[in-house]
Amino acid sequence: MNIKQLATIGALASLAMAAPLALAQSLLIKDARVVTLTDQGTLTMGDVLVKDGRIEQVAEDLGGITADLVIDGRGKVVTPGIIAPHSELGLTEIGAAASTNDSAVQDVSIGAGFNPVVAFNPRSTLIPFNRAGGVTRAVVVPSSEEKIFAGQGFAIKLTGDFDSVTDDGLLQKIYFGEYGAELAGGSRARAYEQIASALAQAKEYADNRDAIRRGEWRELDFSVDDLEALQPLLSGEQPVLIRANRASDILQLLALAKEFNLKLIVEGAAEGWMVAAQLAAARVPVVIDAMGNTPDAFESLGARLDNAALLHKAGVTVVIGGPGYAGSHNSYLSRQGAGNAVAYGLPFEEGVRAITANPASVFGLEGGVLAPGGVADLVLWSSDPLEVTSFAELVVIDGKPQSLENRSTRLRDRYLHPKAGTGHGYEK
Amino acid sequence: MRPTLDNTNVARRLLAVACGAIAAVALTACGGDKGEKADEPDFARLDAFPSTYIADEAAPVLIRGATVLTGTGEQLNNTDVLLKDGKISAIGEGLKAPKKGMVVEGAGKWVTPGIIDVHSHLGDYPAPSIESSQDGNEMTAPNTAQVWAEHSVWTQDPQFALALAGGVTTLQILPGSANLFGGRGVTLKNVPGRSVQDMKFPGAPYGLKMACGENPKRVYGGKGTLPSTRMGNVAGYRQAWIDATAYKEKWDRYHLNGGEEPDRDLQMETLAGVLNGDILVHNHCYRGEEMAIMMDIAEEFGFQISTFHHAVEAYKVADLLAEHNVCAAMWADWWGFKHEAFDMTEANIAIVDQAKACAMIHSDSAIGIQHLNEETAKAMVAGQRAGFHIEPRHAVTWMTLNPAKALGVDEVTGSLEKGKMADVVVWSGNPFSVYTKAEKVFIDGNLMYDRDNPERQPHSDFELGILDAEGERLPEGGER
Repeated sequence: MNIKQLATIGALASLAMAAPLALAQSLLIKDARVVTLTDQGTLTMGDVLVKDGRIEQVAEDLGGITADLVIDGRGKVVTPGIIAPHSELGLTEIGAAASTNDSAVQDVSIGAGFNPVVAFNPRSTLIPFNRAGGVTRAVVVPSSEEKIFAGQGFAIKLTGDFDSVTDDGLLQKIYFGEYGAELAGGSRARAYEQIASALAQAKEYADNRDAIRRGEWRELDFSVDDLEALQPLLSGEQPVLIRANRASDILQLLALAKEFNLKLIVEGAAEGWMVAAQLAAARVPVVIDAMGNTPDAFESLGARLDNAALLHKAGVTVVIGGPGYAGSHNSYLSRQGAGNAVAYGLPFEEGVRAITANPASVFGLEGGVLAPGGVADLVLWSSDPLEVTSFAELVVIDGKPQSLENRSTRLRDRYLHPKAGTGHGYEK
Repeated sequence: MRPTLDNTNVARRLLAVACGAIAAVALTACGGDKGEKADEPDFARLDAFPSTYIADEAAPVLIRGATVLTGTGEQLNNTDVLLKDGKISAIGEGLKAPKKGMVVEGAGKWVTPGIIDVHSHLGDYPAPSIESSQDGNEMTAPNTAQVWAEHSVWTQDPQFALALAGGVTTLQILPGSANLFGGRGVTLKNVPGRSVQDMKFPGAPYGLKMACGENPKRVYGGKGTLPSTRMGNVAGYRQAWIDATAYKEKWDRYHLNGGEEPDRDLQMETLAGVLNGDILVHNHCYRGEEMAIMMDIAEEFGFQISTFHHAVEAYKVADLLAEHNVCAAMWADWWGFKHEAFDMTEANIAIVDQAKACAMIHSDSAIGIQHLNEETAKAMVAGQRAGFHIEPRHAVTWMTLNPAKALGVDEVTGSLEKGKMADVVVWSGNPFSVYTKAEKVFIDGNLMYDRDNPERQPHSDFELGILDAEGERLPEGGER
């Protein structure tokens, strides 16, 4: 196949649907602004060559090199694909419809051992919609309404394919702070004690596995499943994502992480800026909602729009998730969050990094940068990728251009000019 | 004949307000509406908790050489705007600087009317959101038309100031959506107040919150009472309007013929106020089918719906909205949190607008209200991507003049026109950018928020001594 297409601005979205594009083995974006997030920095005008699912080359000018598909990137911006750091993509369809939700269980016997990965549905409508918003990968995290241990998270790519889970058993999710206190029986102290004792007993279990399994050991407070699930935390293999917003809560988690040698990621961190130096010293990254600036709880009285900027300045690795008010359905809005963070002092490239490279490195996922040899997950934006007036014109996952159609665009096209009659029922 | 916003008492009263008065005078003092409509019983009871908002005497302000989005469909480049006596005094080129007062150099800046949010719960669901302050929804009966959202407003909610920093000058506080009739909404000026009366928009009509769909049927069906279905919802509305019609007739007869004064009923009073055109219906309604039903109910009982809120499917019935002169208040892209929010398209606002219906953005969120310019920008771009020609000069009406219409205050605010209230935002650049900030926010000509001057940034009582006993919630220079 040797189809050369020079896409124009207007035609690009529809081109992305064309079969030849989807089948292209190689792809060249020419003359775009390229935000690599590697040592190559940002190329004001550069070319990106993609081949066999990987990024082959990134350079200011790849000269005469050609590809199955050549795209004119003038005036546009290429970034790594967005990685949603904290979503329920594929585990939810409609928030208020219990039958469509698989992210939490009401079974007191399951805590850390809960792994929702088998419930993942790649055909969820949330996936094409967020993909069209530039999300190429996502971390999927369980939630809990009963226990502070929500269970294990996994990672996906947003191809919509049945084999799109990329990383199983990726992390543990735990609640501390106000919500953790509520789940633990009314006090943060109890939540802390539960986490610490679970980790201690997981250690005890590891050291005495055989005796415990034979029943020749004292009775432990947690199930064998839960204690097994906590093992990768103790070995530092698996990150643990713990929610905390209040500055003092974050400091307690840092102490806990030190004691058990945890690979801690703090989720929330509304008052992270108040303990930014300590977070940086402990090399603990944060996943924040960069738009969450209301003092909407007593644990987040210090919430502010320059939290990301202050954390970054102190040397903390900042990951920005979708705004809390929008939820998984609008995970892609993390880029609006990043845009706001930049408006309030975060350097631009750090804003892009906070939704791409940082989630990749913090969770140990592929992608997140435009590096030769790396996976070709990228987005071509109509303009500034953090701007509310820009949009994704081309989304590539594993080197393959993805469809940008979704229910939002389908409904739009059906009702572009609403009128009386039966006609709409026959529109595609 | 179908009553419209144009021929109701609301328009008459607002003209009375507009008769108005310099900013230093409480606007209700100028005429009052008792005299205006002595021919009818007073169901709206505007004087029960009258506005005590008094704008400070404002020195003139000249904003010089800015890009001005007037809110009436125009973009004027390199243009001056003069604010005087609390009003828009002049818009043009080469306006003379006032002898006393302020000059704002507008090069590179953009100017818009103050942002208006038709759907907010600030004060009723304040921050921090602890259990004891959840005062936004009287979820004890499907019809609580007798409750008034203003009676729950905690004026010290720190979120008001955050919304102001986002350019919001006027907002309607509505009751929640658990009930078929949630109660009265109140329109506020976004100014500090010790009482809610200190914030009330002088002369603004009351709203009545109604709700379609999932919420009422879930809340009351769950309690084993009507409604438990959408058809139950509709039966509930119609019965209430039948009762209200009878109530109104009773009072009309008494007003005309005298005799024994009928008993007052707070619930019926609010509904009767809708029937006589004094109170505007704000109807939480996601689905197209339900909007069509609600418009027929309005027809059946002879009232006008001002606005469908959370109108996720407004685009499906945009032509009907235009035909019935009903506005739709929408989000840019929220969806999926419940079934009736599943059919979202980002082009919703644009499609409604292109069908010549009155379209607007709204927040329903303490975060969203701070970013309505960004939300409008996203909706504008979605419209452009759908193939519509929509420019900032038009899209700005989605966050200014159209919500003013929905609230019945468009005669006096919502656009930059001579004689209107000087509710004005000076932006650091094009407001339809994530990087742009509201730099100066004027309400009735007074500088209520200045990003460059901490002295002109309000903070509520709650913020004093929080996190730092000697300081404020956020250290000086902290960006909220």
